[in-house]
Amino acid sequence: MTRYIIRRILETLPVLIGASIVVFLLVHLIPGGPEVVLLGERGSEANVAELRTRLGLDRPLYEQYLIYVGNILRGDLGRSVAGNIPIADELRQRFPATVELSLVALTIAVVVGVPLGIISSVRRGSWIDTGTMLGSLVGVSMPIFWLGLLLLWIFGVALGWLPFIGRLSPNVEIQTITGLNMVDAVLTGNWSGLVDALKHLILPSVTLSTIPIAIIARITRSAMLEVLHMDYIRTARAKGLRERTVILGHALRNAMLPVVTVIGLQLGSLLAGAVLTETIFSWPGIGRWLFNSIQGRDYAIVQSVTLVITFIFVVVNLIVDLSYAWLNPRIRYE
Amino acid sequence: MAKKLGVLLAVLLVMTLVGPLQAQEPVTFIWGAYTNPVQLYSAVVTDGVSFFVLEQGCESLLAFDGATTNVIPSLATELTSNEDLTVWTAKLREGVTFHDGTPFNAEAVAFNFNVWRSTDHPLHFASQVYEYYEYMFDGFDDASLIQSIDIVDEYTVRFNLSRPYVQMPNTLAMPMFEIHSPAALEKYGEDYGTPTVGYVCTGPYKFVEWVTDDHVTQDLWDGYWGEIEGNVERIIQRVIPDNAARFAALQAGAIHGKENATPEEIALIEASDDLYYMLRPSLNVFYLAFNYRIKEFHDPLVRQAISLALNRQAYVDAFYVAAEVANTFLPPLMWGYNPDVPMPEYNPDKAVELLAQAGFPNGFSEVTVLPLDDAGNVMLDAEGEKVPLTLFWMPVTRPYNPDGEGIGQAMAADLAAIGINVQLENAGDWATYLDRRRKGDLIGLYQLGWTGDNGDPDNFSGYFFKNCNQPQEGYFNFPEICETLQQAGSLVSQADREPLYQQADAMLAETVGRITIAHSQVPLVFRSNVSGYIANPLGTELIRFVTVE
Repeated sequence: MTRYIIRRILETLPVLIGASIVVFLLVHLIPGGPEVVLLGERGSEANVAELRTRLGLDRPLYEQYLIYVGNILRGDLGRSVAGNIPIADELRQRFPATVELSLVALTIAVVVGVPLGIISSVRRGSWIDTGTMLGSLVGVSMPIFWLGLLLLWIFGVALGWLPFIGRLSPNVEIQTITGLNMVDAVLTGNWSGLVDALKHLILPSVTLSTIPIAIIARITRSAMLEVLHMDYIRTARAKGLRERTVILGHALRNAMLPVVTVIGLQLGSLLAGAVLTETIFSWPGIGRWLFNSIQGRDYAIVQSVTLVITFIFVVVNLIVDLSYAWLNPRIRYE
Repeated sequence: MAKKLGVLLAVLLVMTLVGPLQAQEPVTFIWGAYTNPVQLYSAVVTDGVSFFVLEQGCESLLAFDGATTNVIPSLATELTSNEDLTVWTAKLREGVTFHDGTPFNAEAVAFNFNVWRSTDHPLHFASQVYEYYEYMFDGFDDASLIQSIDIVDEYTVRFNLSRPYVQMPNTLAMPMFEIHSPAALEKYGEDYGTPTVGYVCTGPYKFVEWVTDDHVTQDLWDGYWGEIEGNVERIIQRVIPDNAARFAALQAGAIHGKENATPEEIALIEASDDLYYMLRPSLNVFYLAFNYRIKEFHDPLVRQAISLALNRQAYVDAFYVAAEVANTFLPPLMWGYNPDVPMPEYNPDKAVELLAQAGFPNGFSEVTVLPLDDAGNVMLDAEGEKVPLTLFWMPVTRPYNPDGEGIGQAMAADLAAIGINVQLENAGDWATYLDRRRKGDLIGLYQLGWTGDNGDPDNFSGYFFKNCNQPQEGYFNFPEICETLQQAGSLVSQADREPLYQQADAMLAETVGRITIAHSQVPLVFRSNVSGYIANPLGTELIRFVTVE
């Protein structure tokens, strides 16, 4: 097991190197550069050329790449081209925002999606099953943008129940410890801050959870249906076990492998940032940051943040793989 | 355990819905911005969002007065020049300090200008883009228009220029040349202006906090030298990137004001007792440019036909909240505007006639792209290559162009009505669009515009058409126009310059060298409990005049 983990960690290195090269080449292949965006309508041939030189963009690509890699190895993620802001500082601020939103959204998705999938599989063909599957189809198909604006308008504007801008209200402060507002509020005993942070999380996390709920419910249902036809389930029932024990104790655990895989993938995607949800609810996460940086051709941000996201994906995948052994003791890693 | 967790969650839910107890808060004005400031150092930014923050806390030597582009004293009480406008002397305001308590004086002014102009100054960082210094003062170091800065006495500073510069007062009023604390610049180095540091200036609101992509907070500073006419004690600029969410925030009272509104939102505002809007006077132009690598565009009859085919008033009515059809490149608010240039006519029948005279009785769908010589000039006598005619629409919303695609479609339909069939093309995102425009690769007709920086026409028509040898874009080459503008830029008196700008604009309109479409006014929307906001054509708008009830 330990050898497996070490091997997997070592395997991440070529993945990270490969990703850094691909991203580096891709951002440099897109027409326009940061100097063009910065100068806007005022960008003449002469001043664009001068700015390219000032920013070091006139150097050969391989040289720029080596400088970038050298900085990364020294732990320096660089500074944004527009604004000259240290990327590591930004990441420290934005990543917790994304983590907080992702974890709450995923929790909602698991808490809602898994039970719905179980009930649908157990009551196959019933109105609950039909409703769940129809609901999950709607959930997957519904444009996030539309749903977010709808929720925002109903609960934020018409009813006025919930805030819909950013992570905290103006003039509300939470001392930063982990960067996760709810955790920090609890740690510092800032209960009004906790309530405010929770309020701000409701609309974006519910919006963000709709697609994962739908996917998790569907996967849980199909995995459960497969397991429920197994001989050992029939044996369990024949032994006179309670149906609840059969479903939750025997069927669910065996059906969880694909569900855990999907949850892991969803978590990876959510941690990579949710551009639309972050945009609608003004959530200062890394998705919108990355998107804006691509638009602004801010090479340093795009390269560094993509590398971090790649690393997160790799780690989440590793955790998912390791969880298989826990869920199914027959799986062994050697 | 599960029950305890359930109880905790229930308590939290109740607290969430009930809400926290509110403490006594300062009078706060919350402005909804579509994006984050780039940086809070005036010399290295160009965007309105950064300047909305900076203008509340920082000041230039001169300022623009209220809703006009007239220049008034600010940190300088007086600016005088020698006869040929090559030496400018500023008398500075006494008794002013920066937010960090250090004194504002001639040394501070010279320090700031020296950082910007000298690339070998230890605080002039290569990674920073001092774009406006380069643009307004010809470049850096020896190329800089400002050759040296003399400290005459503690409150007098003298700028020695390499050539007469009539724009000096307007330029010194630009927010890009706001004076920052030398002590802070030295202390923070390259981190100055970033979220952890912010700015240290002399203005009425000092920097408190910047949480990127979330908000910037500024508090009233009790050491300000000037008057505070309004009652705002705290300014918060909140980042709300989505237009609909920003309007919803205004409706819900989560923000007090925002820039821009769609025609649909204006209808809702007009029907609401809680909201109102005002218009920022126009200092911009939206145009359709010809790329002169296309042979057919060298025929004035073709250009006139295209101009006559476009129903500008319909675009203004359909896509803008407030705009007027542009008869000239310069907007009416700017001195040098020529009111005698007739409004462009919409006359498709006449357009068809002109096309026929030009040898295109059935219109055209293809055009001839001429090659370039080694010097990059268009080879007018060459054969060229036939390509479909393309109309490129702008992929972003700008104050002068609220809907590039929509207006592009309307233009294409108008041109089709006279037999000119264009392919509408999205040239990519904004960076790609600008890149292709710069390289002359938007081969066809393309949309773009301009917003004035300092109220001087040399910064408007002059920027585009003054350089005869190196056209700014689209291989535009009309020697009479550029010579007239060059002459206007070399004169010292506004009275002498004004007729030349008028003449140049009249020539541009007559030759249809570029098609002017509209001058737009940007709406600014507020909650009804906000008063005192003064909309300025250059966007220099100060919250110290604002009252929130």
